[in-house]
Amino acid sequence: MNGLSLGEKLFVQGGIAQDLRSDGRKRLTYRPIYVETGVIPQANGSARVRMGGTDVIASVKAEIGRPSPLQPNKGKVSIYVDCSPTAAPVFEGRGAEELSTELSVALQRCLLGGKSGAGAGIDLSSLIVVEGKVCWDLYIDGLVVSSDGNLLDALGAAIKAALSNTGIPRVHVAAEASGEDQPELDISDEEFLQFDTSEVPVIVTLTKVGRHYIVDATLDEESEMSSALSVSINRKGLICGLTKRGGAGLDPSVVLDMISVAKHVSEQLTDRLDSEISAAEAVEEE
Amino acid sequence: MEYVSPEGLRIDGRRPMEMRKLQAEIGVVAKADGSAVFEMGNTKVIAAVYGPREVQNRSQQLNDQALVRCEYSMANFSTGDRMRKPKGDRRSTEISLVIRQTMEACILTQLMPRSQIDIYVQVLQADGGTRSACINAATLALADAGIPMRDFVTSCSAGYLNSTPLLG
Repeated sequence: MNGLSLGEKLFVQGGIAQDLRSDGRKRLTYRPIYVETGVIPQANGSARVRMGGTDVIASVKAEIGRPSPLQPNKGKVSIYVDCSPTAAPVFEGRGAEELSTELSVALQRCLLGGKSGAGAGIDLSSLIVVEGKVCWDLYIDGLVVSSDGNLLDALGAAIKAALSNTGIPRVHVAAEASGEDQPELDISDEEFLQFDTSEVPVIVTLTKVGRHYIVDATLDEESEMSSALSVSINRKGLICGLTKRGGAGLDPSVVLDMISVAKHVSEQLTDRLDSEISAAEAVEEE
Repeated sequence: MEYVSPEGLRIDGRRPMEMRKLQAEIGVVAKADGSAVFEMGNTKVIAAVYGPREVQNRSQQLNDQALVRCEYSMANFSTGDRMRKPKGDRRSTEISLVIRQTMEACILTQLMPRSQIDIYVQVLQADGGTRSACINAATLALADAGIPMRDFVTSCSAGYLNSTPLLG
């Protein structure tokens, strides 16, 4: 994609200043969000989220593993994002590495909490099978198929939907194994435990263009940004993660203002996502 | 193991010469010049075409025809066991080459000298026959992009098992 001409840039900036963006939206309005769950049958859970021209897929795979000796009562989760070259020619070969890493790290920060697993949006202790010996390892993979801005919000929504769709097989542990022996496991094909996603936060990215902030920026609008703040907020209105991008400095009062705007927007987004996810699950059941 | 039962049915209930269910959709990637999704049974791939556009690497520019480039990548979750390396491994490089050579032969490259056509194929679900699904998807994506071709290129795989030829 080539850059914008001067006229196009002024059009984007002027529209945002007047609360009327290029596609007719107001500054704090999201594009229509479409959620489909169960799109990857061989994964334990999956979802596809479309926000305008942005199309992302998230899949959750669960494998049996050993818990880390430092946290023997917690399972492990890893998040990895890949940008497909179908989204932009620049993602060919290793071109997507920087963006993929940035997105993966931002998502880990927002959803997984600190190194010890404390403060995670996902309850890691629910992944334990036998304390100290057997746990579930969750691999969350995101794939960006088409990009029209606001990748982080879309990926956050997709991961939340994929986790709602995830079924962890029920494991029956054979009689007590002694010492270091791995206990015998019987992994059920029939019974599944649904994941509890009520604590999983949503991510709201506020992009500052000129003197105003917008939500759900398109690619053109992102190219005009001075800085952007991504806030992950859970249902209780508590901030779970914070990332600032862009080289322009922000006054602390502006940052606090952006956070409160994000908090206000996140309430509507959470409700909307929850209803879209339940609708998608209902469609899948049919 | 019996791959074809005595009644002549395969594991998924097909006859030996029967193909899997085909499904396709065009125009799925908004930003691409042309794109398509192609499904053959449980194998699902997306192809996106960008071009004809200006050549990015001047040294590769061809003065009498268009430069056709292709990249094949598989998603982490596409196979039953999670893959570690989505692209850059030898199989992906080989399949990229095969798709590029196939499409290059059918695109009328002489009509677009000094330009570049990029074909990107992404495998979402792999259940055998990804190569064929990619070529079919690439044909649809090129048609969606309005790039002149000699004809459609279609592809299907076949094998020979226990003295029985099997399709797809």
